[in-house]
Amino acid sequence: MNLSPTPILHVDMDAFYASVEVRDDPSLAGRPVVVGGAANGRGVVAAASYPARRFGVRSAMPTAEALRLCPELVVVPPNFEKYTAESRKIMRIFRAYTPLVEPLSLDEAFLDVTGCELSSGDPLEIGRAIKRDILRETGLVASVGIASSKFIAKLASDMDKPDGFRVILPDDVQTVLAPLPVSSIFGVGPRTAKRLEAMGVRTIAELARLPRDEVAKRFGASGAWIHDLAHGIDTRRVTPRRDEKSYSLERTFPKDIHSREELRLRLLEFCEELAFRLRDAGLRGRTVTIKARYPSFKTLTRTHTLSFSTNVGVRFYSAARELLDRIPQGPLRLLGLQIANLDDVRTPHQGMLFGSNPTETEAPAESPERARFADRIERVSPGLDRLRRKYGRGVVIPASLLGREASTGRDGTTGAFGGAARAEAPESGATTELDLDEPPAE
Amino acid sequence: MKVLCAREKLREGLALANSVIPSKSPKAVLTNVCLIASGDMLELVGTDLDVSLRFRITEQVKVIEAGTVVVSARVLHDFVRDFAGETVELDTREQNCVIKSGEDSAELVTADADEFPVVAPFDDAGAFSLQAGTFTSLVNKTAFAAAREQGRYAMHGVLVEIGDGLLKMVATDGRRLALAHAPMDTASGTKPQKASIVPTRGTQLFSRVMSDPLDQVKLTFTEAQVGVKTRNAEVFARLLEGEFPRYAAVIPAESKNYCEADASLLERKIRLVANVTGDEARAVRFSLSPGRLELSGHSAGRGEAHAFLQVEYKGTDAEIAFNPDYVVDGLKNSESGIVKLEFNEKTSPGKFLLGENYIYIVMPITIDA
Repeated sequence: MNLSPTPILHVDMDAFYASVEVRDDPSLAGRPVVVGGAANGRGVVAAASYPARRFGVRSAMPTAEALRLCPELVVVPPNFEKYTAESRKIMRIFRAYTPLVEPLSLDEAFLDVTGCELSSGDPLEIGRAIKRDILRETGLVASVGIASSKFIAKLASDMDKPDGFRVILPDDVQTVLAPLPVSSIFGVGPRTAKRLEAMGVRTIAELARLPRDEVAKRFGASGAWIHDLAHGIDTRRVTPRRDEKSYSLERTFPKDIHSREELRLRLLEFCEELAFRLRDAGLRGRTVTIKARYPSFKTLTRTHTLSFSTNVGVRFYSAARELLDRIPQGPLRLLGLQIANLDDVRTPHQGMLFGSNPTETEAPAESPERARFADRIERVSPGLDRLRRKYGRGVVIPASLLGREASTGRDGTTGAFGGAARAEAPESGATTELDLDEPPAE
Repeated sequence: MKVLCAREKLREGLALANSVIPSKSPKAVLTNVCLIASGDMLELVGTDLDVSLRFRITEQVKVIEAGTVVVSARVLHDFVRDFAGETVELDTREQNCVIKSGEDSAELVTADADEFPVVAPFDDAGAFSLQAGTFTSLVNKTAFAAAREQGRYAMHGVLVEIGDGLLKMVATDGRRLALAHAPMDTASGTKPQKASIVPTRGTQLFSRVMSDPLDQVKLTFTEAQVGVKTRNAEVFARLLEGEFPRYAAVIPAESKNYCEADASLLERKIRLVANVTGDEARAVRFSLSPGRLELSGHSAGRGEAHAFLQVEYKGTDAEIAFNPDYVVDGLKNSESGIVKLEFNEKTSPGKFLLGENYIYIVMPITIDA
């Protein structure tokens, strides 16, 4: 039984991507470094080192602007496989202390250490031990916030960054919250902040003083929520597996793309990437949505729900390319793909007689050849995924994506199902060709 | 038009017609029944343009004046049902139709007979002749497996194939498939030019008009529709377009695991275990070991259940899981006391042999894909 009033930890790595790059290249130490997309071609900053932040460089800022603020800035393209590997180590450290770990991203998680006293100590001891373990095993620095709720714990981890360690006891919550700007509240974005300001509300204390009904009336359900948070009330639990609603991927292109063929290839790449992520998470999805943005910023989405759940890229692609055909011709600035309607692969799954079920509600879906091909891909996927995890994601890719650069996000993210990641495949150096009739040896 | 008819005969005919006639339709005239009196019979015609019925009352009917009238099928049916007398008199008067029974009467508005669609009479030329029971039994064995939602797609019907002395029917919803055939004099008529997919609703109406299994009935196919003629009814159904799934490929020819069980006992035990499975993702696991079949199921909300029965099985231990509803649907129609189940892997189709010429394929539910 844990009697500690502050069993929630929020652990957040300091300038994670940038710190990993600086660790691996000591010549960068102390210099302003960002990880992100190139300045030419709409790149944005994914992470900025603390020296860079002193120049006003922030994440999500266009790289070009960051360079204006800080001409000696070092821009490093991101290497997400490396960050993912570090992230796995960090998450493993968390789980050594408590099973209640809720990752928020690669470098950030909530932990609930209720009842861990006998095995691991009180929350403060656990917090210190985690910081120490992370530094020892990865050479990276984390900030830790400890409190009675998620909201306050997250606030706490941010207060003494970098290398922060802050406990906020329940009795101190009001004092800590009172002077903070309303924008510190999760759920108060710039728009809500502006509307609050128009009501004469700038600080959390001012928000807390408003009658709850009034805030709820003005802002609906989220009004009641932010009002509760302003009082430090946050009953959300730490849930080890958040119910993920969808997986998505979108890319703003360095240059607008007109060619439908090229756009289709991008979609195939996105489909393969999201399918891999779903398989990795043990999920399947049914609803495919594409998002297309024209140079005028006019944005369209088109959605199709399959009659079955899948995590096979070519299955998503069959639907996605038809959706692409349904949007008007014209160059696109951005293309995105979302897979929603997710379910766990362990939920019982009704088999289909005719491959991918040419059902009633669908237009003549996949051709039988495509369906058979997808079935074969599905059978060999577990083997291929093991290769991808071992040798890099680009080690097996669809032939039509051969020799192409992977689409990079504005922050330099790559899906790895393009040429870029192939270079990481050891020895072979080239993409492995597999005969799909022969599942790879285990 | 003036006709006298036994009330019960007329009520039956109208009830049948109302199973075809839509209660609401963008084409208002279709909600009517067309009554045609001629010679010594009264004919009821109803259609929704997909399925059409022509039903003849030849007994206990007296035509005083031949003629045609088109009236609301629902309203006429309700009056005939609620009248108290033994007979009903229908009499057209200008734009109206007066119906009388005993001392009670109603005067119903009529619709323009010229607007009512023409339902062409059954053409005997090229029609097959067969026993009603042959047809209805095949429908009963297969139609339940067809996709259920209303629609005009290939799986919302029963594939009817005629050839080599056999009448064959197949239906599937993509998860299970039922296939049955019976001998028939296939030389008696003209084979359809292409595979005929009869909408499920049509097959149901066919069965309904074939009330006597020993009756000889006629069956005919044209490019777009299938027709059936019995002693007093003609039913036409527009064939479904589209390609029926290539079903032959999914019927396993040989199977590794093969067991025999008592059909009604198996059905009872599946129902028993299914009580514990939830509403979604219902699954009952079949675990076979020599001489024995264990059925088990569980759900987070209810708990778990096990049942056992003796079976004829000699292979090594094997396992497969099915949606219990699907299996029971088939077992209910089992012709023989013994059912045979064959399958290869727990992810490959399960083949139930429910009679000599009756195969039922059910795709398993895979747990942990």
